[in-house]
Amino acid sequence: MKDTQLLTQAIVDMEEDKALAMTRQLLESKTNAMDVFTAYQDAMAEVGRRFEKGIYFIPELVMSGDMMKTAMEIIKPYLDESGAGTVEKKTGRILIATVEGDIHDIGKNIISTLMTLNGFEVRDLGVDVPIDRIISEAKAFNAQIIGLSGLLTLAFDPMKNVVERLEQEGSRDSVKVIIGGGQMDDQICRYVGADAFVTDAVAGISLCKSWISGSI
Amino acid sequence: MTDIKDISNDKQGAFLDRWASGEGVAFQNDGAKKAYQYRCGLIKDAVQLKKTPDRVPVVPLEIFAPVMLYGYSGKEAMYDANILGKIYLDFTRDYDVDATAIAPMVMYGPALETLDYQLYKWPGHGVKEKLSYQFVEKEYMKAEDYDHFISDPTDYWFRIWLSRTCGALAPLAQVPPIYGTMELPMAGPWLCTLGAPPVQDAFNALLKAGRQSFEWINTLGQYIGQIMASGYPLYAGGATKAPFDVLGDSFRGTTPLMMDLYRRPEKVIEAMERLVPLMIGTGAGGALANNNPLVFIPLHKGADGFMSNDQFEKFYWPSLKAVMLGLIDHGCVPCCFVEGGYNQRLEYLADMPKGKCIYIFDRTDMAQARKILGGKSCIGGGFPISLIVTGDVRQVEDETKKLLDTAAGDGGYILSIGCAMDEAKEDTLKAFIRTGKQYGKY
Repeated sequence: MKDTQLLTQAIVDMEEDKALAMTRQLLESKTNAMDVFTAYQDAMAEVGRRFEKGIYFIPELVMSGDMMKTAMEIIKPYLDESGAGTVEKKTGRILIATVEGDIHDIGKNIISTLMTLNGFEVRDLGVDVPIDRIISEAKAFNAQIIGLSGLLTLAFDPMKNVVERLEQEGSRDSVKVIIGGGQMDDQICRYVGADAFVTDAVAGISLCKSWISGSI
Repeated sequence: MTDIKDISNDKQGAFLDRWASGEGVAFQNDGAKKAYQYRCGLIKDAVQLKKTPDRVPVVPLEIFAPVMLYGYSGKEAMYDANILGKIYLDFTRDYDVDATAIAPMVMYGPALETLDYQLYKWPGHGVKEKLSYQFVEKEYMKAEDYDHFISDPTDYWFRIWLSRTCGALAPLAQVPPIYGTMELPMAGPWLCTLGAPPVQDAFNALLKAGRQSFEWINTLGQYIGQIMASGYPLYAGGATKAPFDVLGDSFRGTTPLMMDLYRRPEKVIEAMERLVPLMIGTGAGGALANNNPLVFIPLHKGADGFMSNDQFEKFYWPSLKAVMLGLIDHGCVPCCFVEGGYNQRLEYLADMPKGKCIYIFDRTDMAQARKILGGKSCIGGGFPISLIVTGDVRQVEDETKKLLDTAAGDGGYILSIGCAMDEAKEDTLKAFIRTGKQYGKY
């Protein structure tokens, strides 16, 4: 197995100390920084696959995300040095927000991270986001998907209001709306007028990917 | 207050009987006493898996919903004990539930202001006045604090954690630990620090918040007294939490704790072991003080999707199980409010003594819950809040019947909404309760 593959394996196995030591060692031994970066990307893709299969869960997701973040600090100067860009083609554009009135962000942050790992360009507006801002940012970002998050029942009406505003502005057909949160179900999906609802991140990712591959 | 030891040694049945007898409640009349005993009896029979002589108990698990139903804002409820008390009194009578909400769970806004409370945002303080309070999760406990927490949770809790979760109590972090007071020469530093103006301010704030809360509960208590006197039990006597959730919600935060499972797993387990007796004491203490054996335990971060079954088995379940068994040993009934889905975990929940606890489910498949837990533990919940908030009467009636057919079995079921109810519509909630009582007959 190549050294970079061993690195990928260490990340996937959540061997944090080993992965970071290998990262430093590879960079110091003049391994191409882009290859080291790719090893992390491969690892994140594998973590995502295991997450989707129900082998990995939140601990592995946040661990791998944190390992990648730390590694990027180390890799970045070498990438700059080699002049290599990290520009890659993004899968699609999704705007994510916890709706007005609700300040919960754990679910939103998980989906945001996973979407990024799956190649989406993500604009995360945070929590308690007013409808006006969701609409204007979606327009500016040219979002293909709007993901609305909410843990509490109070999120139902603000979600509905976002969809109504999209309809009023004549832009409902050009964007998919997906709602997520602990109390979302078919009833609320119809009430809100969303295209889909999900109660877990995995379902959300695969749905959004299928929308994009079917070109929305 | 009854001593914990008085009802230990498998005295759950006795505690349930004492509660259900209405002992100590100044009933308005004999009819109210009989109604109280009947309602408690429905719940007691459900816990003990007896074939209920009449019907399933109907306990919607409301929190802020009554406030909204009677046209008040969350802020009004949190700032005026008379408004809050009247709302709960009216709600309980008008909706005629079998066990009603714990009004003090709404808390008193002015006391939170005095403390500069950071752990929640509440109506008028970070969330809109018409809404309910919401939790603010942060890393209040740092990774390097584990050793302090493990060696002395009370010291850590009082001086460090409170100083980070209440702005007005920040100076408590400057106070030395209490242990120097064992001897005169070493007591000086502790006392001198208490005299420092910022520390005095902190203690004064704590005393003020206490005074405010005391006045508030004295006002509110009159309404709670009236609720019980007119024949309605409360749906819990105490509350506690799973040790993993204590750490994940209030101390470390979800993301840091999830990484701790890899970075310092032994510390996580040690910290949770330290929390077990504290959480048993917290739950049992409330139950005894209120003469109500039901101890509410909201479960958060062990749900499907949060972790694997292996991780659940290693990190979540052992300390929760120990808390539940400890509560049972004290005569209490652990009432787990199983938030999220537990479809992958039902077999674990089944591993408890027969007929000693309650599991109220949120998004778990109720047919599976009945199949795996039926005849072992009382189950409840499973009704979608979405229909109460956005559905119509017909939908609610149909869904209630469907749920009862699926989950009620031949006893051991409590009909309730699958989540803590912060809003509702009058017609749908009344339809839910009415259908439950009519169709839930055995």
